[in-house]
Amino acid sequence: MTGLSSSISSLYDLVERFWKPLAELSLPGPAQEMMAYAAFAFYVLLIAGGGLAAVLSRQLVRALVGLVLTFLGVAGLYLLLAAPFMAFMQLLIYVGAICVLVFFAIMLVKNTQTGEEAASPGLGQAFGAILAALAPLALFAPLIAARAGELGDGLAPRETPLAELGQGLLSYYLLPFELISVILLVAMAGGVLLAWDRRFRN
Amino acid sequence: MSSTLPLFMLAALLLMALGFLGLVVRRTLVGMLIAVELLLNGAGLSVVAAAQLTPFPPAAGQLAAVFIMGLAAAEAALVLAMMVVVHRRFGSVETSALTAIKDAAL
Repeated sequence: MTGLSSSISSLYDLVERFWKPLAELSLPGPAQEMMAYAAFAFYVLLIAGGGLAAVLSRQLVRALVGLVLTFLGVAGLYLLLAAPFMAFMQLLIYVGAICVLVFFAIMLVKNTQTGEEAASPGLGQAFGAILAALAPLALFAPLIAARAGELGDGLAPRETPLAELGQGLLSYYLLPFELISVILLVAMAGGVLLAWDRRFRN
Repeated sequence: MSSTLPLFMLAALLLMALGFLGLVVRRTLVGMLIAVELLLNGAGLSVVAAAQLTPFPPAAGQLAAVFIMGLAAAEAALVLAMMVVVHRRFGSVETSALTAIKDAAL
């Protein structure tokens, strides 16, 4: 658990910068490790609860709230991985942009509260859904559990300086970086073209 | 000293399972879009965890996850436009209504 406890200590540095009194209450190593495990459990609980709400809620707005909870949990896991930039991007892009888009989608289509989404799934559909959820678990969970000892090097995750990320974008990821701008442009133009109402053409 | 990578991988696997569950159990395109976002989130989490907890350069993994986020944003925007079109044509985004060939009411 060295990785997590070191990222907790880097969190401490962050706290120290902003709120001195809290940082003076420094904890010994094992306590930090326990705190890291507790934080991990909390975030996974957030992911599981939010994800279940997002998937099973009968009202789409509630499902969206569950989705936001899940995104927050994943952002917390990014913080534990010593990747605060990714946590920030997660909040900015997923919670900020994609959730608003999904909310637009909910608002733009017919109110589904009395629609088919409100009905409980049939037996066959429920069986298929449980099968679809259990298949990846049954395939990969034993694989991960069996190789738990070999996965990773046990070293602490180190926080990447932002300059390194920028240099990566402009060196080995130059082509994907340019391509994704084209993809975003095409998606935007395609979205406008698709949703264009014929009434406004003349 | 054991690595914590398996824990993060299991969390990503949980997201994947929830995404597949939603993809099958949902009956509207909006619900399916939410499930796809869960799947993409799990993919990003596994990539970042693998890059941070192995000797692989961490910047490369984080940037790959940023690209996944960009693709997710583009996909969400396009799916929103498609939903508007489908809703205009079929009057609903329920997947059972989208039958243009089978007993079509064109």
